[in-house]
Amino acid sequence: MADNIAKVFNWVNHRLPIQNTYERHLSKHPVPKKVNFWYLFGALAAVVLIIQIVSGIWLIMLYTPGEAAFSSIEYMMRDVDYGWAIRYMHTTGASMFFAVVYLHMFRGLLYGSYQKPKELVWIFGCTIYLAMMAEGFLGYVLPYGQMSYWGAQVIISLFGALPYIGESLELWIRGDYYISGITVNRFFALHVVALPLVLIALVFLHLIALHEVGAGNPEGVDIEAHTDEDGVPLDSVPFFPYKVLNALVGIGVFMTVFAIIMFFFPEGGGYFIEYANYEEANPLVTPDHIAPVWYYSPYYSILRAVPDKLGGFAAMGAAVAIFFVVPWLDRSKVASIRYKGILSKIALVLFGISFLTLGYLGTVSVTEHRKTMGVICTFIYFSYFLLMPIYTSIEKTKPVPDRL
Amino acid sequence: MISIKKLPIKQVSMQGFLFLFIFFIYFNLEAAEGAPCKDYGECDEFKHSLKDMSSLQSGASTFLTYCYGCHSLEYSRWNRVAKDLQIPEEIFFDNLIFDPSIKPGDLMAGSMSKEESAEWFGVAPPDLTLVTRLHGSDWVYTYLRTFYEDSSKQYGVNNLVYPGAAMPNVLAALQGNQQLTCKQVPIIANNGGEKRDNSGNPVTKEKCGFLNVEEGTGSLNQEEFDLLIYDLTNFLTYVGDPDKVERERIGWYVVFFFIIFTTLSSLLYREYQKDYH
Amino acid sequence: MIGLTSAFGAAGVPFAATPFIASWNPSAKAKAVGAPVKVDVTKIDPGQQIQIGWRKQPVFVIRHSQEAIKNLESSLSKLADPNSEAIEEPYRNMNPTRSKSPEYTVLVGVCTHLGCSPKFFPEVEPKSWDASWTGGYFCPCHGSMFDLVGRVFKGVPAPTNLKVPPHNFKGNILTIGEDEEMS
Repeated sequence: MADNIAKVFNWVNHRLPIQNTYERHLSKHPVPKKVNFWYLFGALAAVVLIIQIVSGIWLIMLYTPGEAAFSSIEYMMRDVDYGWAIRYMHTTGASMFFAVVYLHMFRGLLYGSYQKPKELVWIFGCTIYLAMMAEGFLGYVLPYGQMSYWGAQVIISLFGALPYIGESLELWIRGDYYISGITVNRFFALHVVALPLVLIALVFLHLIALHEVGAGNPEGVDIEAHTDEDGVPLDSVPFFPYKVLNALVGIGVFMTVFAIIMFFFPEGGGYFIEYANYEEANPLVTPDHIAPVWYYSPYYSILRAVPDKLGGFAAMGAAVAIFFVVPWLDRSKVASIRYKGILSKIALVLFGISFLTLGYLGTVSVTEHRKTMGVICTFIYFSYFLLMPIYTSIEKTKPVPDRL
Repeated sequence: MISIKKLPIKQVSMQGFLFLFIFFIYFNLEAAEGAPCKDYGECDEFKHSLKDMSSLQSGASTFLTYCYGCHSLEYSRWNRVAKDLQIPEEIFFDNLIFDPSIKPGDLMAGSMSKEESAEWFGVAPPDLTLVTRLHGSDWVYTYLRTFYEDSSKQYGVNNLVYPGAAMPNVLAALQGNQQLTCKQVPIIANNGGEKRDNSGNPVTKEKCGFLNVEEGTGSLNQEEFDLLIYDLTNFLTYVGDPDKVERERIGWYVVFFFIIFTTLSSLLYREYQKDYH
Repeated sequence: MIGLTSAFGAAGVPFAATPFIASWNPSAKAKAVGAPVKVDVTKIDPGQQIQIGWRKQPVFVIRHSQEAIKNLESSLSKLADPNSEAIEEPYRNMNPTRSKSPEYTVLVGVCTHLGCSPKFFPEVEPKSWDASWTGGYFCPCHGSMFDLVGRVFKGVPAPTNLKVPPHNFKGNILTIGEDEEMS
């Protein structure tokens, strides 16, 4: 029996590189033997992606795009067995996706994961982030509640700020003179097919690029510098089973948090599902307080910090775009914050504080005092990036150890 | 270096703290649900009791008697309500449903057409299936109790929580006539001291905006009326999220499962870590 | 240790799969739309048939005259399955009408060949499809024939008798789609 299985396996393996791929990417892929919990968030992001795809497929079975969207949501929540579970799985997953990805990006800034030769990994990652932002926006419009409608109204009108082509662009995006079922239908296609395909392709590229050059570690040590006679780095362990098992623990913790949110407070106090969305879209009535979902709030703050419409749009775009060029802004000789100078440490802390503050400000209404805070934090946010070439080259760094 | 022996305990206790932390947030978030109460200030607190069948049944009865004439519950189904409130379908249909053409599986689509009611009232009475999700149960509970007489309005009433509401006070016969009155209140200084005149008697000023029900004008006293509205709000909270009780019940099992799973995988990882340390 | 963790994890899989599989069950909406249908049968004259919609299918309700019921015997030799042995017959041997009532027949009006709706021809007279026609159903699509209680003839494309749906009679009210009187 075992003999026959081996024969079948060999037949397939001769034609499809199963064994090679398994060894190259799993059982013999070397990863640094010592990393910390910051290194789990990539795997968790992959888990959430799978959760979103599976729950998303099931949602499509239950959702009706267009004008009937709002009642189809209530239909799946009430009339379908466990429909509420699938819906909340997807909304919880959306917020968890961003939480995990933000932490994943922060790890990148912390340990210089974007430094040579991982620049392309970083760029693919930033593209994934951009695609995620679009995907999240499109997805939020689909339930067609008041916040879906008015959030879409705000974002689409941003495109109207572009000179010359602005107004026709708005009309073209909407497909109608105002946001309607037609807009929802096309957003549905983009959210369900187009962007997921793009995301999956980008994640694939992100991982292949990573495996080509090898993962980093919190010390910023190049583990390839010391290898044994077979060329395997001395400070590494094979990815499977060691890192997979490590990831499993992280997944356990993550799923516990996920389950707590999904079953006990799926609305997240109005931050994951905004209360205004419990009313069907009404073009004639604007909600008192239009705010995007929490994960866009830092950028919403930056948008509001600039008094000019086009300027705000540009600032918001720049705030996302600037992430792409970090590999070239960081002139430090060392990768990890552990060995960088005091200036980098201060800059990163200030950046973190400003990001969180901007995030908070984006969820509340504007007052004079908050407006000033928003401007200051936007300034700090951009300074972190724009001053990086300076402070990373002038500061005194500590010597990086040779081995892990 | 962290001793390997401590690892799983660390994981589990981290999870435990996480759990407690999140539940702390949960209880605070639950209390802070919904929008503030406009002219009324902070809404009166409402704590739901979704397992109290007699409360829910009373609320359902009140709703169908006083509210269903104008407001629909268009996403809710009759047989679902009967089942969740543990009312046998026969009793439910005989006593609470007045339209013989309604079948048990139908949606509670309301008794008035939206176009006609928009014409009569100026705006169609909104569907109330999701009102407690949209505004919060606190808001609904307070709204129903803060109608007051206002001769400048179309139906002679206004509302503190939703000023300018087009809704007449349907429950006036039960509550009684409520008015905005003025009272003499003590003047309190910044340090908490009460202003007094030379003889030591407190000096008062007039403050308006207090709600007061005329004695004897309602068939229920304040306690009874508040209880009626409590039950009604409880019912509407159920209608807003009929799966809540079941969802939380299942949730306990799922969270428990993942805590054990994390513990087991920690132990497993610890075993493998011995290989390369 | 691997075994324990894997087993525990694997034990969770059927529970995790439950919402996905259960969501495929008929929803409350489908159940409401597919709910039983009630009809007052006294409105039907003897020898007449009415058609009622149930679960997007036509259901024939025929009220037979005493004569017609006696005449059911005469067409026995033409029938492929006079005792409905080849199919699931819910009320076997209860009545010659194949239903819960001695006077009415309830049939799902879908031809067991390829799904067309057979037409009712109750008159006892020669027809183009049968010179010795004693009343029954003729399907216009491919020429299948059934008697007055829906039993299929020999030598026609349809393989089996017309199906009898679950139903019950309570006084004058026939409920199609429900066996016992529930409400």
